[in-house]
Amino acid sequence: MAKIEFRNVCKYFGDTKVIENLNLTIEDGKFTVLVGASGCGKTTLLRMIAGIGPATSGQILLDGEDITDVPPGKRGIAMVFQNYALYPTMTVRQNIEFGLKNNGVPKAERERLVAEVSEIVGLANLLDRKPSTLSGGQRQRVALARAMVKKPKVFLMDEPLSNLDAKLRAQMRVELIELHKRLKTTFVYVTHDQVEAMSMADKIVLMDNGVIQQEGTPEEIYNDPNNVFTAQFIGTPPMNMLLVDKSGTLVGFRPEKVSLAYENAEGFLKRKGTISTREMLGSETLYRVDLGDAYVMVKSFNDKFRPDEKVEIAVCEEDLCFFDPDGVRIRDSRIDGLLQRLATAGGDK
Amino acid sequence: MNKALGRKIRRYLPELINNILKLFVVLLFLFPFYWMFITSFKPYAETIQFPPTLWPKNFTLDAYKTIFSGMDLTNYIKNSVIVTATIIVLQTVVMIPAAYAFAKYEFFGKKLMFAMVLVAFMIPGQITFITVYIMMAKWKLLHTLLPQIIPFGANAFGIFLLRQNFLQVPEEIIEAARLDNTPEWKIMTHIMLPMCKSTMITIALFSFVSHWNAYFWPLVMTDSEKVRPLTIAIERLKDLEYGINWNTIMAGNVLLVLPILVALMFASKRIIQAFAYKGVK
Amino acid sequence: MNAPANRRRWRFRKESFLPYLMVAPAMAFLGLFTFYPMANLVYLSFFDYNLVNPVKKYVGLRNYQTMFFIRRDFMIALKNTAVYTLAVVACLITLSLLCALWFQKDTRLNRFAQTAMFTPHLIAMLSCAMIWSWIMDQNSYGLLNAVLELFKIPPLRWLNSSQTAMLSVVIVSVWKSIGYYALVIMSALKSIPVEIYEAAELDNTPKWRVFFRLTLPLLSPQLFFLLIVITINSFKVFDTIRVMTNGGPGSSTDVLAYYIYRYAFQHFKIGYASAAGTVLMVILMILTALYFAVLGRKVHYQ
Repeated sequence: MAKIEFRNVCKYFGDTKVIENLNLTIEDGKFTVLVGASGCGKTTLLRMIAGIGPATSGQILLDGEDITDVPPGKRGIAMVFQNYALYPTMTVRQNIEFGLKNNGVPKAERERLVAEVSEIVGLANLLDRKPSTLSGGQRQRVALARAMVKKPKVFLMDEPLSNLDAKLRAQMRVELIELHKRLKTTFVYVTHDQVEAMSMADKIVLMDNGVIQQEGTPEEIYNDPNNVFTAQFIGTPPMNMLLVDKSGTLVGFRPEKVSLAYENAEGFLKRKGTISTREMLGSETLYRVDLGDAYVMVKSFNDKFRPDEKVEIAVCEEDLCFFDPDGVRIRDSRIDGLLQRLATAGGDK
Repeated sequence: MNKALGRKIRRYLPELINNILKLFVVLLFLFPFYWMFITSFKPYAETIQFPPTLWPKNFTLDAYKTIFSGMDLTNYIKNSVIVTATIIVLQTVVMIPAAYAFAKYEFFGKKLMFAMVLVAFMIPGQITFITVYIMMAKWKLLHTLLPQIIPFGANAFGIFLLRQNFLQVPEEIIEAARLDNTPEWKIMTHIMLPMCKSTMITIALFSFVSHWNAYFWPLVMTDSEKVRPLTIAIERLKDLEYGINWNTIMAGNVLLVLPILVALMFASKRIIQAFAYKGVK
Repeated sequence: MNAPANRRRWRFRKESFLPYLMVAPAMAFLGLFTFYPMANLVYLSFFDYNLVNPVKKYVGLRNYQTMFFIRRDFMIALKNTAVYTLAVVACLITLSLLCALWFQKDTRLNRFAQTAMFTPHLIAMLSCAMIWSWIMDQNSYGLLNAVLELFKIPPLRWLNSSQTAMLSVVIVSVWKSIGYYALVIMSALKSIPVEIYEAAELDNTPKWRVFFRLTLPLLSPQLFFLLIVITINSFKVFDTIRVMTNGGPGSSTDVLAYYIYRYAFQHFKIGYASAAGTVLMVILMILTALYFAVLGRKVHYQ
């Protein structure tokens, strides 16, 4: 069991408050992704779990035990750094077994473990090289191997794929997911890339300015956002937002949920507009539709529309999300009233 | 209550001891200066007293009076100032075009010449003094300030540093100026130099410290009192026939050290940067 | 077609002339006051020349013969210089490294300490030498002896005993430069990425192992470089010796630069002094070659 808990955690850098009264539980064995823009506090949280950037106040628990004051090396946690942080003057083998050596593992056992891990990660022929002679992808594998060989309770990863080229990144994403399935250990993964988060996570924790915006599975976060921030952070292009009335209430819907037709589009919320731009993405086409007072992005399988054509858009009732003027999702009975308002307003706003 | 206090002490004690030890080390470096200062304000009798006093019992300016009356201090100080200032000006004038040429031009022999600059940097006065002395004697310059100035016309360190700085100026700015038909010398003085002000000040400071403190070279290159700089005069203080008056000697050193300490107070960061750069290159 | 061709040629000539003009003053100074004296030094070493009589007498390698085989004092000066250099290098590197590690965190106390330790480097060697001569005065009122007295330790004769004179001079040189070299090492320490230390923390590495397996190997190119720099600077030592001991007592602190100076300006044996100077120059050139070789090869681990 390697459940991680944050209890009332605060972090100050000098006088700047970065995180205040944060509470979070990271489940055992799951692949949890902390995602958000730069400076949102996700790496800060990760480093708190590791112990290398301790919290100013609050507690951190691992398996129910308070590890707030436990030194990093004694927590049974391994971390893969963004820039890999390999020991430059040591060989790959020495890099991998360094932690084992410090923990007093005898030589024969160390050799066995290193061999085992380098097989899994595909480094067996690189063991006697120095990190400066390796490519980015190879260095990343060494960093992984170094983490794995300790058989930790928790794997921490700080944007490990951000320094790789696109092709390698896609490949490593798959490999990391398979690694997680195989090891079944708790993974805590930090990234600013929401696509990475969505594709890899069992559970996403979205953060902004030190505050958790939403926790949930990728499906929950995508289809059922709790606030405007979440709705617009996840998804490319982000959720469309239209004003319902002058009070600032918003209605949101995903671009792929919009029906597009020259007239009489099928759906509950209907509006008329003009195609502004058209981006051919291959299997889908992305249209920007100008509604006069606003514009929406529409993702369609239909590539026949052209700029300047007059069209009508429509969205079904169940695909609509309402947000109050503070950006918080409306889930209660107010929805009926709002739906009424939209129905009567028609396409004139 | 006592337990909490005990825990607090235990937590902060190692750091406290660490800081006390650090202060002790700092004292090791600063105390000799303090000792120099207070010795200069003691009467001679007090300096040879045992045990030595940590603060002058009879504060006096005797030592300073002796120096000011016993030797022509203004002459020596004037020489030091003139030599140091002239060297800095001369070096600046020589160094700027050279660094600019090394940075922005390609010409045959450039690599070799620059290598010569770097090597020259490593050759000390202890090697060159014999020949230069003979030269200066032959040209009858030994009773002038010139032997202390002109051998240092080329500041190899300055050329290296300034060239580095010039290299960092983006080429586009220069090309734009050239397209505007700006003459080369104007490019140098109106565009490049203002961008390198910081480096120039650093180089000047470095030169100031080196030459204000120079002892060996003026010792060799001067044969008359009227051209000797402050360093030689202060060293002489210890050769007084009537015993060694430490208070006078220390007073002399205070005068020598004062300009440097004043500069340090105003520009400590820059000075440290200047010297630290030399080591890292 | 003549006019344009002339203009083209003239501009080309003017353009290629310019850089030479710009480096000319610097190269002239260097040539006249650095390189020519070097060559002349070697030239003079083959002569007997006493400055007063302008006629030089060619003697071939006799000066070198005398220096190495007949007289003893050159070899003593050479030995002393080597001993001094070794002592200063060893003390300076270890102490500067320790100070760099100890004072590296950016706190107010540390920054104050760095400036304090750096100050001796800025003042004249002359002044350092005179201040310490005073502190090391062999009488009981000399500060060091007074402190020893406090601990009931018998006073030392410091600069006045051939046993302790070299030690005293070394102490002064080390005191003057620790702050400077500590600063240089500190800037090298700063270039080591913090994550490496964090990774080591997560690997449960004891502090001594972090130093010997991580910090030291990463610093070693820089330390080796400093070793050469300090060696070069130590071989040239003059001011300290002249001011503190005049080469004595006896010849226990006679060093190369002082030897050369004495024979040139006190014995007026220019040729002989030049021979000694040439030896010093050769030593410095070898060290300089090493310096540039290491400078070129400084590996940056990324």
